[in-house]
Amino acid sequence: MRKIVIAAVLSVVPAIGFAQQNNIGTCGWGAKLFDGQSGVVPQVLAVTTNGTSGNQTFAITTGTSGCTQDGVVRSTWKTAMFIDGNKDRLARDMSIGNGETLDSLAHLVGVREEDRATFSRVMQANVSLIFPSGSTTDDSVVALKQVLRSDRELAQYAASI
Amino acid sequence: MPFRPRPWRAIVCLLCLLAPCVAEAAPYLDDLIGRSRELRLSERREWHRLMHYTDNWVTPGVHSLADARRFFLAADGKTNPQSELEATLAAFFSDIQETDKEQNPQCAFISRYSWLDRQLGFDPARLPRQPCKRFHEWRDTLNPQGVTLIFPAASLNNPSSMYGHTLLRIDAKDQDEKTRLLAYAVNYAANTDETNGIAFAINGLFGGYPGMFSMMPYYLKVREYNDMENRDVWEYELNLTPGAVDVVLMHVWELGPIYFDYYFFDENCSYYLLELLEVARPDLDLTRDFRWWAIPSDTVREVVKQKGLVRKTVYRPSNATVIHHRLELMSPEEQALVSSLSRGRASASDPGFAGLSPPAQARVLEVSHDYLNYLRATGRSPVGDPAELARTLLLERSRIGASAGDPPVPVPEVRPDQGHGTSRIGFGGGRRDGANFVELRARPTYHDLMDPDAGYVRGAQIEFFDFAVRDYSGSVGARVEEVTPLSIVSISPRNEFFQPLSWQIDIGWARRRLASGAEPLVFGVHGGPGLAWTVPDTLRSKTMVYVFLESTLQANTLLENNYALGIGPSVGALIDFTDRWRAEPYAREQSFFAGDTDTAWSVGLRQRYTLDRDWALRLDLSRERQEKQSWNTVLLSLHHYF
Repeated sequence: MRKIVIAAVLSVVPAIGFAQQNNIGTCGWGAKLFDGQSGVVPQVLAVTTNGTSGNQTFAITTGTSGCTQDGVVRSTWKTAMFIDGNKDRLARDMSIGNGETLDSLAHLVGVREEDRATFSRVMQANVSLIFPSGSTTDDSVVALKQVLRSDRELAQYAASI
Repeated sequence: MPFRPRPWRAIVCLLCLLAPCVAEAAPYLDDLIGRSRELRLSERREWHRLMHYTDNWVTPGVHSLADARRFFLAADGKTNPQSELEATLAAFFSDIQETDKEQNPQCAFISRYSWLDRQLGFDPARLPRQPCKRFHEWRDTLNPQGVTLIFPAASLNNPSSMYGHTLLRIDAKDQDEKTRLLAYAVNYAANTDETNGIAFAINGLFGGYPGMFSMMPYYLKVREYNDMENRDVWEYELNLTPGAVDVVLMHVWELGPIYFDYYFFDENCSYYLLELLEVARPDLDLTRDFRWWAIPSDTVREVVKQKGLVRKTVYRPSNATVIHHRLELMSPEEQALVSSLSRGRASASDPGFAGLSPPAQARVLEVSHDYLNYLRATGRSPVGDPAELARTLLLERSRIGASAGDPPVPVPEVRPDQGHGTSRIGFGGGRRDGANFVELRARPTYHDLMDPDAGYVRGAQIEFFDFAVRDYSGSVGARVEEVTPLSIVSISPRNEFFQPLSWQIDIGWARRRLASGAEPLVFGVHGGPGLAWTVPDTLRSKTMVYVFLESTLQANTLLENNYALGIGPSVGALIDFTDRWRAEPYAREQSFFAGDTDTAWSVGLRQRYTLDRDWALRLDLSRERQEKQSWNTVLLSLHHYF
């Protein structure tokens, strides 16, 4: 009961934070998304994570900080950051052969319209290579590059990763 | 404008020490200041929006909502628009070179520079233009084409999320609806590492945290809302000119290192996004109604209300919404397979699965995977290594060439901004315990179980400061009937796939019968957990039944022991006979065991009939028993939402 009361009182305010969330201190952030989530109460509190940023990674006009420059992802990191932040969805869309995260990855890699179907098909066929068991984002980036390179039509895009 | 000593002279002198060349600036600066006075620029609305000036509460004059000293170039800039404008002009003559840590004032205050340049037409020969390389690189990365207001709607089991949050998305020129994930979100939030919820709540209420703007890829926000919190997201594409979009960006840049004291209820995320839009469109007055109380969903309504400001809306269903939708499309056999596959209790070699058509196999695997992720996100992983199970399901899926071919989740007919107004006033009359009465009821915000559902979450209630006064015939006379500062109810149906806990809490004062027959206003806290189901178990079911275990703590010096503590069950149902007509039969009992030994109970039937979006009729019937006295109440009332 007390827990619920506390949760309720806390969660009525908009933008209250569950500050540990979102605390993305390094260049990688995908794995962090699943941290600190268990049970009803955290879920209730988490609703309003809105409230906090709790980190300086995305502060604007703070100069260079690891993977970002003045709050935006540096271009060399773009693809890795995207894969890291969308791991589960990307693996899902790849295995289905279409979806928003797959479209976005194709855009990031610069795949032209006429090569999109090939891209989707190759991704679907190689999802187990790109996301091997217990893979890190680095593994996936390297594997993606490798998969592109070994396809005749898509090899031209390997360099952009 | 009262005469003021020229603060810019001090600044210029200061700058002289740093950079000898600015000494020559003085004549042109005098000229600029002279013209700015002639044009009365510091009185312009644009300047006031750029500086976030707002009228003082009591005394005449203004103050800026910005709380960071570095936002002001004049010592009295927070309260003096004129001296701030002159100091700003003076600072533009600085020849500080841009580094990774420092910017020239022309770049650091680039939205002011841009506006003043347009008003005064700076002569680059006499006021050299700084390249502002960092700003331009940043802007090029964003490649802006438009701005979209993002509103994550309420999640199913969380009435408090109805309150909502808003952010902006900067849409790039080379993106389309399929690649919007790559856009950047501009978020305004309290910046703190506080993990103690209570401390956070208190500090937040009283402005104890700095509120700051930050940017992040939109996909992080989509993952957070859609996948982690299971909230549908609404996107409102704004109709801004390229010039206005640029102003938004320049101002976000200018506010980057600036903080504002963050207040949950008024100076919050949504309020500052409105401020930002006002900078881009000074002709709009969006913030006027939100000076004291800015509820995110209300601020969305305000934006939608502006003629032509919203170009298009996009609905982005959450993971849970998609799962609900796709489960509904399945046969019972497919659902059973999802249930066992997602929990690792069956595999793709299962004969039941192998016998399905390829599209059905694709559907079952996709929903199994999504459901497994839902379980992970809500902390209920069914297996030790859910990532590996998810991977196994996806690999199976990747071997199927066919597509499931399911239709997308239908866009709700009523958006959150199109539901009833959040304030409500009601007038009615009735009879209670032999005395006739008239009742006036008012609620500043937000939604209760019996209010029309369109645009809201069914079974969810959150109300602030609901109060009722009644005037009884006979000896009772006029009195406050109840005051409820806070009331939240979450009735979330359970089924094979979703097992949320329902819960409720309310805090306030209500009339309570004493053994003597007197009825003082007694303070009480009441609430507890519960379970709910829909009958039958489908998304569009008309009936939801619930049970709760409720407890009550009452405190009043008129109570025998100054307090009373009780516990007991309640049962009820929400039944929609039609879209307009809802009934709620209920029964509850509270056995007091500390401070009092009374057994109180009530049974009743509440009904609502929706007349139109902002009008509803209610009929409440009840029988109550407290301190061995029983009475009936009937109340017919008309409610207006605004």
